[in-house]
Amino acid sequence: MCMRCAISRRSLLVTGAVSAAALHTGVAEARIRPQDMAPLVGPGYKPTERDEIGLWKEMDRAEEEIAGSNLLVSDPRLTGYLKNIIGTVGGPAAKDFRIYLARIPDFNAMMFPSGFAVVFTGLLLRMRNEAQLAGVIAHESGHFLRRHMIRSWRDMKRKSDLFAIGAMLAGVGGAGAGVYLGDYVQLAQLGTLLSLFQYSRAMEAEADAMGARLISETGYPPMEMANIWEQLIGEENASARYRGKRRRRGSLFDTHPSEGSRMVDLRADAAELTIPGKVYDNGRTRYLSMIGDIRPTLLDDQVKLNDPGASQYLIETLAQDGWNGLLRFYEGEVWRLRNRPGDAQRADQSYAAAVVYPDAPADAWRWHGISLMKQGRPAEAKAAFARYLKMKPDAPDAPWVRQMAG
Amino acid sequence: MRNRGLALALALSVSASACVQMKQYADVQFTPPQGDYKLLVLRPDVTVGSLTTGGMVEPRADWIDQARASITAAIKAQQGTRGGTVTFVERRNELSGVTPDELAEVERLNAAVDESIVVHKYLGDYLPTKRGKGLDWTVGQGAVELGRKTGYDYALFLHAEDQVASGGRIALGVLGLAGCIVGFCAPNIGGAQQLDYASLVDLKTGKVVWFNVVIASSQVPGIKFGDIRTPAGAAQMVDRLLGRMKPGQDVGKGVVMSPDAQGSR
Amino acid sequence: MKRLVGIAALAAATALAGCTGVGSGEAGFSSYGLVTVKRVRVGDGQMSVVPPRNYNRHRRILFSDVGDVEDWTLNGPILDGISFVSGMKNNRELIRQRRTADQQVPRFRSDMTPPEITAMLESLYRIKGGAVQLKTLSLQPRPFLGANGFQWDYEHLDQDELWRRGRAVGVVIDGKLYLILLDAARSHYYEAMLPDFESIVASAQRLG
Repeated sequence: MCMRCAISRRSLLVTGAVSAAALHTGVAEARIRPQDMAPLVGPGYKPTERDEIGLWKEMDRAEEEIAGSNLLVSDPRLTGYLKNIIGTVGGPAAKDFRIYLARIPDFNAMMFPSGFAVVFTGLLLRMRNEAQLAGVIAHESGHFLRRHMIRSWRDMKRKSDLFAIGAMLAGVGGAGAGVYLGDYVQLAQLGTLLSLFQYSRAMEAEADAMGARLISETGYPPMEMANIWEQLIGEENASARYRGKRRRRGSLFDTHPSEGSRMVDLRADAAELTIPGKVYDNGRTRYLSMIGDIRPTLLDDQVKLNDPGASQYLIETLAQDGWNGLLRFYEGEVWRLRNRPGDAQRADQSYAAAVVYPDAPADAWRWHGISLMKQGRPAEAKAAFARYLKMKPDAPDAPWVRQMAG
Repeated sequence: MRNRGLALALALSVSASACVQMKQYADVQFTPPQGDYKLLVLRPDVTVGSLTTGGMVEPRADWIDQARASITAAIKAQQGTRGGTVTFVERRNELSGVTPDELAEVERLNAAVDESIVVHKYLGDYLPTKRGKGLDWTVGQGAVELGRKTGYDYALFLHAEDQVASGGRIALGVLGLAGCIVGFCAPNIGGAQQLDYASLVDLKTGKVVWFNVVIASSQVPGIKFGDIRTPAGAAQMVDRLLGRMKPGQDVGKGVVMSPDAQGSR
Repeated sequence: MKRLVGIAALAAATALAGCTGVGSGEAGFSSYGLVTVKRVRVGDGQMSVVPPRNYNRHRRILFSDVGDVEDWTLNGPILDGISFVSGMKNNRELIRQRRTADQQVPRFRSDMTPPEITAMLESLYRIKGGAVQLKTLSLQPRPFLGANGFQWDYEHLDQDELWRRGRAVGVVIDGKLYLILLDAARSHYYEAMLPDFESIVASAQRLG
């Protein structure tokens, strides 16, 4: 189960393992209360039923492949940090979990049926403090503790069987291919699909509620889980608005509860869980120091995807803690890549602003130099290039810059 | 896991009929290994599941173990008749002489090479410069280094997947057939699939010298094709894959392997 | 750049005969044509080169390929490839994309400096190629087609876990981009194709 992933029935049929849910929204359901969320597994859990044993074995193979992947971030400080977090908010299974960090610029995290989680670096860019990161990890742990994967698998199996029999009885075959050949079949498939998604929506809501409970028990402010969705909605709105689109809202076929309704429910959860007078800590200082080294890389990965609405939103969110050379530089990069009329000038201004700060990265000086060159200010450009070369004498593009610097 | 996309594509491209389809390609200079050689079988990717009524695959742990054991035994026996020694490597850290990373690099490139062979030889998107040349791909110096450091002559990359129709599926198939008898024919749902491929790399040169794909599909559930969980089924699969290795086209005309009844060239 | 063709799409497009064997073998239609060892125009014809051996050129796919970009390969685009940009004009893009796509490869502008051109290529790899890492190994001046151009060396890690290496030689003349780019698996394939690439670059001529 994951935070956001695209559903593919085909992929479910082939792998039959990780359950998936569509990206967007769904019809509102009654809120699940955190106090009703009790873990269904204890420490050291191992499956005893045939189908679950088979699923775990398949997952062991998958974990082996993932653990050996070169897409992972291997920095022991960061991975140790994630392990600590899951070791704290993982409920009864905390010590059994494994967690891997993959360098992929999407916002996502997923838990596999055998108790290992994968988190993407895009998540680290978007979480503002440790409580939010812990909230995502706790949500994924919730899927495991409530045995969602095996329940979902069994439900899928039951429903697919039903559908196939229904199709056969209607005398219009093609079940395997999912071909529409008659009203009965269409209705049957619709009913099957709808109830399948219903089930998934309930599971996501359970994981949200369980996650809120787990983090509040650890001492994180449960409201931070609601804030995650508020931030995500803001980002999607910014992205869609830039491209002149509307952010997709709820539809009957979406499997996740809508981000808006998740936020609303989590706010209510937080109100219930927060104990007046108790001191909560969102761990922001520790979080910022942990991800400080990787943050420039994460910004780089994000900005180079050229989704200006989303990137600008993220930079402005990070800038709530204060602008600095790094953020002004990447602001410039967003304009430069966007390159609409006027953006070149905006980029110039951002680079010029960036280099005033002591933490401006070397690249800011190089782009500042290129800006100045294009503005017809060669002497200043040469000075900027010289500064770049001084900061990074072994820069891979030093030969080209030297030629420009004259 | 990434090979699943490939397996699916191959399965999709097979037309619906009950037969064993097999085609092997060999490098033009290839002579199947005989005599005293050392063969490395790398991390055979075996999955065996149960095909549920609705078409989903349910992995079965006991079957997977059984199938692995059967295939291992079958390969050892089969290669034993040729005079070689076979070593299976299940995990990347089990091969002495190379680090897991070094092995991973070779595996990744090999996966890309195998993918290319499937796309440009089997799926029909052929490359004009390779037409009629048998197999013309290499895994390069990395594979040669692997051979040098570990002392093996050949490396076999194996992928085997077998789905067994579960009870419910068979019942459904019967229903369909019954429908056919009374005048209405429901199209076959598609029974057990068996998709296997093997690629043999000569570690002295790094070249892929032999590649084979077997798709054995029964469109009528309940009719078993070489169920690889059983020793007989595994032996049959291994025989289809490895036993009928044919020499490449430039090798002397006098060399003839046991003729192959179906569909290979 | 052509590695973007989905394998599943390929399988769907391929018609196979029944029981006589897997795959249509090497008959029928392939998306590749043969390039022989003689001077040949590439892209939309504004540049010509001479390959040192036979190559496979990817046929143009109507409505999805861009006219001034052409791709060649020896072992298939998963493993290696040489791409040509033959005089791309201001405001054009390397690959067709939807106006409303969230992530977009930047368009070429005539006033782009080499770092901006390489940034455009980097975005192409990240957005369309799914590269999760891309590193510049070097950027240096290099004469090309009789003008002051640049050479860009880079490597990238893709989602199939394979590291690939590349070299691009390019120049902007009269506001148009001319570029020849080699991209191949870092292990074996890049080194194997590099001499051919350099020979092709040396042979390049601008027409019209």
